[in-house]
Amino acid sequence: MSSSRLAATPVAAADTAPPAGGPLPRRRRRVDLLPYLLVAPLAIFIIGLALVPAGFTVIESFFRVDDVDPPTRFIGLGNFHRLLTDPTVQTAAVNTLVYVLIGVALSTVLGIVMAVTLQHKFLGRSVLIAILILPWALPGVVEGIVWSGIWDANTGLLNSVLSSLHLIDHYHVFLGQHRLLTIALIELVQVWQITPLSALLVLASLQNIPGDLYEAARLDGCSAWAAFRRVTLPLARPGIAVAMVQAVIATLNVFDQPFVLNGAARTASSVMVQTYFISFQNLDFGEGYALSLLITLVTLVLSYGVVKAVYRPVEF
Amino acid sequence: MTTRTHRRIRARWFGVAFILLWSLVPIYWTINTSLQTEAQAGSKPAHYVPPTPTMKNYTSLLGGSGGIPSQIRQSALNIVIECCAATIVTVVLSTLAAYAFARMSFRGRNVLFYAVLATMAFPAYTTLIPLYRIMSDFGLVNTYTGIVLVYVSGFLPLATWIMHNYMTGLPLAIEEAGLVDGASRMQILRYVMLPLALPGIISTAIITFLFSWTQFLFPLVLSTDLSTEPLTVVVQALQGQHIVPTTLLSAAGVIAIVVPAVIGLTLNRYIVNGLLAGSVK
Repeated sequence: MSSSRLAATPVAAADTAPPAGGPLPRRRRRVDLLPYLLVAPLAIFIIGLALVPAGFTVIESFFRVDDVDPPTRFIGLGNFHRLLTDPTVQTAAVNTLVYVLIGVALSTVLGIVMAVTLQHKFLGRSVLIAILILPWALPGVVEGIVWSGIWDANTGLLNSVLSSLHLIDHYHVFLGQHRLLTIALIELVQVWQITPLSALLVLASLQNIPGDLYEAARLDGCSAWAAFRRVTLPLARPGIAVAMVQAVIATLNVFDQPFVLNGAARTASSVMVQTYFISFQNLDFGEGYALSLLITLVTLVLSYGVVKAVYRPVEF
Repeated sequence: MTTRTHRRIRARWFGVAFILLWSLVPIYWTINTSLQTEAQAGSKPAHYVPPTPTMKNYTSLLGGSGGIPSQIRQSALNIVIECCAATIVTVVLSTLAAYAFARMSFRGRNVLFYAVLATMAFPAYTTLIPLYRIMSDFGLVNTYTGIVLVYVSGFLPLATWIMHNYMTGLPLAIEEAGLVDGASRMQILRYVMLPLALPGIISTAIITFLFSWTQFLFPLVLSTDLSTEPLTVVVQALQGQHIVPTTLLSAAGVIAIVVPAVIGLTLNRYIVNGLLAGSVK
């Protein structure tokens, strides 16, 4: 394997190197090998299992890669053309846009609400933080199962509560009927997972805000709401920006929740779910590569846009 | 002024109540369903507390020798092996690399460091298909090695970043004293840096472990049978079979979240510190 060849050079050289001598640092004319030795495993992993594969994704998206129908051959923008004209992919792209809009907006707003709740010390605050991060720590697929118990058409909590309150007269099927409702309910499950990190990131920003700014705002006659708008929000912008970027990355790549709650149906399919089906069910890897590449590019552009729009450096 | 303070406190309790309900109600509902019989779970309106709590769903998932219990047991073993292996490898490699990045200057340091950071900006699934094909070429599909290699490659950048931030925050004076006393740099790493950086190492380990436990798409693609499938994949496959009742599925869900939930609730201090060290700077 290539990794052993890369690692062999520094290891062999280190074995023959003279042991470190007296207390005075010797003048070394040869290269200091220790740092290379320390970073070599990391470098091998990053190059071999991140950069090289990413290169594959870029290059092979211009090829027809189909294990059932070899050989691999260059087809230019063929994969992209097929993707962009595929109605299933178009539906998934629109769905994903809705996932992103709902997910980023909701996780940011809820994250800010939670962070403001936790901004000042109070009894039980650390316990509350532990409970807050709980949904972040759980697997997305299992969260899909957890929430399917709430949306369920026969045994679900939502149906039971709504009919107990006489808001509905019979149990409803919430998922898979109405497209926008289905997407919103599935995205809520992902928001449940990603909001804790948003809250922590905003909270970290809030804790840098000096208390005397609030004191000054109060003396100037600011209401609590005005203090929130004029002190908290502007100074929390770095944290909000990072929170929004993590939400953009997570929601654009949403897979677990729609896979569990929507399956292969087109109603609420996401582009990542489509990538999975195209690559691993249809075994059309070329088209899968192309779709991965497009998702990655959109993720990078959108993340950059969010940083540009929201991030402002803050100095105290 | 007192009314304002009162109003602020009232707003806070609203927030506290919201966080509690938001985080706990879905989990409570799953546990509640998992402790009921199929008939009880089907009642309308639902039982908000199990009328006669039963462990039957858990015993039929974990005990016995049927198909489902053996799948759950084997996949639970798989996920523990995969998470532990990925965590150990990630922590060791990221600590070594972070020490070099934080304390040594060498040619190519910045290029490598920024390359590592840049990979964090890319969505993990960018490399899903090529990683599958590489693993397939090396015969590593359906092996622990394949899954662990992919996990480690995915988590190393964040782990290195957290460890780097932690180590650059440590005082230089003790290390310099060690160097003057003739300790080698590896001895300094072993006897000075590691004890001081222990909280950072624990944070990195917990976060890596939890990230590994939550994986689904990568193991779905990289494992094709029960020899390596983690609990997440098996539980999802149960959900896909419509004959499995909600009660049993809820119990399976509880089994799959109990380990990360306990870690999250008890070790949250390390998680928060690690995530914030890794995210804001």
